[in-house]
Amino acid sequence: MHPAVYKVGLQYLSGDISGGNARCIAMLQAFQEVVKDYSTPPEKTLNRNMAAKISSYVSFLRDCRPLSVSMENAIRFVKNRIAKLPITLSESEAKAALKSDIARFINEKIIGADTVIVKHAVTKIRDGDVLLTYGSPTAVEMVLLHAHELGKKFRVLVVDSRPKLQGQLLLRRLIKRGINCAYTHINAISYIMHQVTKVFLGASSVFSNGTVYSRVGTACVAMVATAFRVPVLVCCEAYKFHERVLLDYSICSSNELGDPNAISKVHGREDINYFDGLTNNANLKFLNLMYDATPSDYISMIITDYGMVPPTSVPVIVRECQKEHNCFESPKIVI
Amino acid sequence: MGAQKKPAVARVRDDSEDLTRQRLQAIVLADSFTTQFRPITLERPKVLLPLVNIPMIDYTLAWLESAGIEDIFVFCCVHSSQVIDYLEKSEWYSRSNPNLLVRTIVSPKSTSVGDALRYIYEQQTETSQIQGDFVLVSGDTVSNMPLADLIQEHRDRKKKDEKAIMTMVIKKQSRLGLGSDQLFIAVDPLTKQLVRYEEGNARIGDVCLDKSLLDSTVLLCNDMQDCYIDICSPEVLSLFEDNFDYQHLRRHFVNGLLVDDIMGYKIFTHEIQSSFYATRIENLRSYDMVSKNIIQRWTYPFVPDINFSGKCSLMLGRQGIYRASDAVQSRSADIGASTVIGYGTRIGNGGKIFNSVIGNGCSIGSNVVIQGSYIWNNVTIEDGCEIRNAIVCDGVKIRAGAVLQPGVVLSFNVVVGRDFVVPTYSKVSLLQQPTTEDSDEEMEYAGSSSGTADLLSGVHNLQIESKASELGPDGTGYIWEVCDSAHDEEWKHSVVPIPMDKLADITRAMDDDDIEDESVVPPAGELKSDTDSINTDANDDYGYFEREVEETFLMAIIKDDVDHVIRLINSRRFAYNMASADCAGAVFYSMMRLAVNTPHNSASELYRNATTIITKWKGLLGFYLKQIDEQIEVIMKFEEMCEESEELGPLFAQIVHFLYDKDVVQEGAILRWGEEKAGADECDKVYLNQCEAFIQWLKEASEEEEEEEDS
Repeated sequence: MHPAVYKVGLQYLSGDISGGNARCIAMLQAFQEVVKDYSTPPEKTLNRNMAAKISSYVSFLRDCRPLSVSMENAIRFVKNRIAKLPITLSESEAKAALKSDIARFINEKIIGADTVIVKHAVTKIRDGDVLLTYGSPTAVEMVLLHAHELGKKFRVLVVDSRPKLQGQLLLRRLIKRGINCAYTHINAISYIMHQVTKVFLGASSVFSNGTVYSRVGTACVAMVATAFRVPVLVCCEAYKFHERVLLDYSICSSNELGDPNAISKVHGREDINYFDGLTNNANLKFLNLMYDATPSDYISMIITDYGMVPPTSVPVIVRECQKEHNCFESPKIVI
Repeated sequence: MGAQKKPAVARVRDDSEDLTRQRLQAIVLADSFTTQFRPITLERPKVLLPLVNIPMIDYTLAWLESAGIEDIFVFCCVHSSQVIDYLEKSEWYSRSNPNLLVRTIVSPKSTSVGDALRYIYEQQTETSQIQGDFVLVSGDTVSNMPLADLIQEHRDRKKKDEKAIMTMVIKKQSRLGLGSDQLFIAVDPLTKQLVRYEEGNARIGDVCLDKSLLDSTVLLCNDMQDCYIDICSPEVLSLFEDNFDYQHLRRHFVNGLLVDDIMGYKIFTHEIQSSFYATRIENLRSYDMVSKNIIQRWTYPFVPDINFSGKCSLMLGRQGIYRASDAVQSRSADIGASTVIGYGTRIGNGGKIFNSVIGNGCSIGSNVVIQGSYIWNNVTIEDGCEIRNAIVCDGVKIRAGAVLQPGVVLSFNVVVGRDFVVPTYSKVSLLQQPTTEDSDEEMEYAGSSSGTADLLSGVHNLQIESKASELGPDGTGYIWEVCDSAHDEEWKHSVVPIPMDKLADITRAMDDDDIEDESVVPPAGELKSDTDSINTDANDDYGYFEREVEETFLMAIIKDDVDHVIRLINSRRFAYNMASADCAGAVFYSMMRLAVNTPHNSASELYRNATTIITKWKGLLGFYLKQIDEQIEVIMKFEEMCEESEELGPLFAQIVHFLYDKDVVQEGAILRWGEEKAGADECDKVYLNQCEAFIQWLKEASEEEEEEEDS
């Protein structure tokens, strides 16, 4: 086991690294370390051996925490590159090529994509807007900060939910920059939706039928917003798109389950202990879901690095992405 | 002191049943004994000033009631009739709650907390109202913390330890926002006993600690806020009686107990959780802060939309806008977030009001801008006025087009003239500023209430004709002058948000503290006398000595008198018990510092500076450099300096040569130095190598001399 991968895995496990982009970047950087320290064992070929190695690392990471769709896409990209490495390259050349490919993926598909998204999304923020966001999506945070730097006058409502309360971190950072904010929990969503002019959400992944897969609670926010005729904008990098079609809206088979203790206990409130002694009861189950799926009907627009598209156009982007991927990866096929 | 038995108060009951049956009592001081709210407090006591349209004392009483206090004594001094009138009319007297008894104690002569408590003590001997432990708060406290547990904790502690007479409530919070001075406290982390309490403008770094404090574990905090809520045992009253010079509760009483160790009495602290609110309104900044906190509902349940004081409550709308049901507002008026609008208030067209509190019965004209301001009751604001971060008291008239710049305070019934601009931070009153400013801060208001009335009728009428124009042709009122020293501090206490540059200054000062400390030169002679100071090792002394010599030297340059400097330096030398060699080193050090500090563009210019200074003060150096040892000391010192200063480094050999030329340093010293250094590490030999040629030349010269002598 490579120490860099081990470290990242433990960080996933403890929750030190969370958020789709951060997890993906950490994993890719660990892989870069792996490639750097790699040497082909005798009587083995680089392509096969390294691919096997990466696979074993991936299964370790999956054991630490289920992988997100974005990470799976990134892993597919890495494996693809390894497989397509020309046999003629020497080991050091191959390693250098691989490393630069991974760095390019991070810079273009993740960091570069975010700046493009910010550029697009900022045009949708006008003076006097009341923006609502849920949880702590990094792309939305960048959009809000950039809009504030441009001198736009708007208010932000940060909606949060137990048990993670990630919105508090976002709120702290926004207030530090002097943005006018309000904070509430998702229970109050129907009350505050009156004043909201736009809803900005993040996404863990977008499926080709336009379904947005995101932090649990997002669907609820999007549905309430639609009921109040408030546009829902989802900021999502194109590398998180997936050609899969998701129909099961309530609980997806691939959903991740969190620690049941997190919802059975209230931190800092020892007096709320109604579940004490019940945790092993066979008739009681705690369901702490991490993600939910928002049907495309409740989404007005998806802002990606390819521009702003309606959810019905997601398959186009997935296809284009695939095509570009293939061009970029193996020009031979085109010929 | 306090040794004799107190007949009424010191009845410490051992019976625990009795203790539990004691009624919970509180003393509310309806007087702040400060002048922070002048000129407003000349006409109305501070506790009756509206805080989000409800008099401050209502917040205090409502909180005490909700915390289960059964007897409340309201202590009134100046304006006592107003306070009593108010309480009689309010619901507090006629309250349906049979468990709450509000009584007043009147003593118009009291001018400080000390006087007040002494008066209560005297009363005590006759009536014995105070039966046991009591809560001592000021009438301007806003809080929602529970008290019952705290009082119980205090009683339990008292039972175990007779000497634990007071429990002080503290809370973690930045004091900057409240505009009060820096507070520094030291607490025993286990027992929570308070061991040091220091308040003042002192920078964070400058706190002297008693050595004995460091024997045990202490927790030093400067991020705590004193809530001015104290649970006191009856002994506190008798202590005030015994020490008749105690005036201020914190400065005299608490510090007296901690520093002078009276009878071994102890004070304990209780830190409340951040979920509870407890703050005292000390000045206009905290008035602003607490008002905002009330609007943002941190003081729940004491918020404007809950009827806690017997007044009609307001309706809470979105974005924290509280509006009275009968307030009339034009459709085109823009009411922004965090605003309160009182009963019977009318707002005209096109106005813009945000972050402000508007009282009852106000009439506001068209196109008025009000931001971050506190408009009290029955104020008339005509069309086109602009009011930013101001406090406007009852009955004020602001004529059309007038502008109040940030920080303005308009006292009762002032009239601001048409199109008049009231300058920033000015305080305006119908009363003239008292000319004889009391230096004693404890003195509250100018004279008693009757005196104020005289001031109102007499002086005012006499001068109204000539002085009225201070606020424009159709205005009335005097603009109070701010004394110079207070002017710089004005931003700290005003309702205006802290200016960005000041805020930056403060944060920078905090960051720089460690660095600044290095360069502080303490006043002469003070260090030796201060035996408490922890840093008294020789190294530090030498550092101080060096700095003092430098100071002396720099001062002497102006006078240009060698003998005088020698005298001064000698006196320092004896004060610090330094050797002659140390003096020589320090003097030379100061000279080189001067040379480096003199503006110069190139190394040669620096060299020229150094040579002129050395030539000029040759005599001074000569006085201290009589012995070879002293000369070596100087060279070593110079070497040290060169290591610190990059500019001087390359000039080392040149300057040593110059010193030799001027007969300040003899060749023997240089050669001895060379020999001493020859055995040193390579890295230490940088300057020796630099002087290699020079030393070689010296050696040859001396050999030649010897040869000459021989021949």
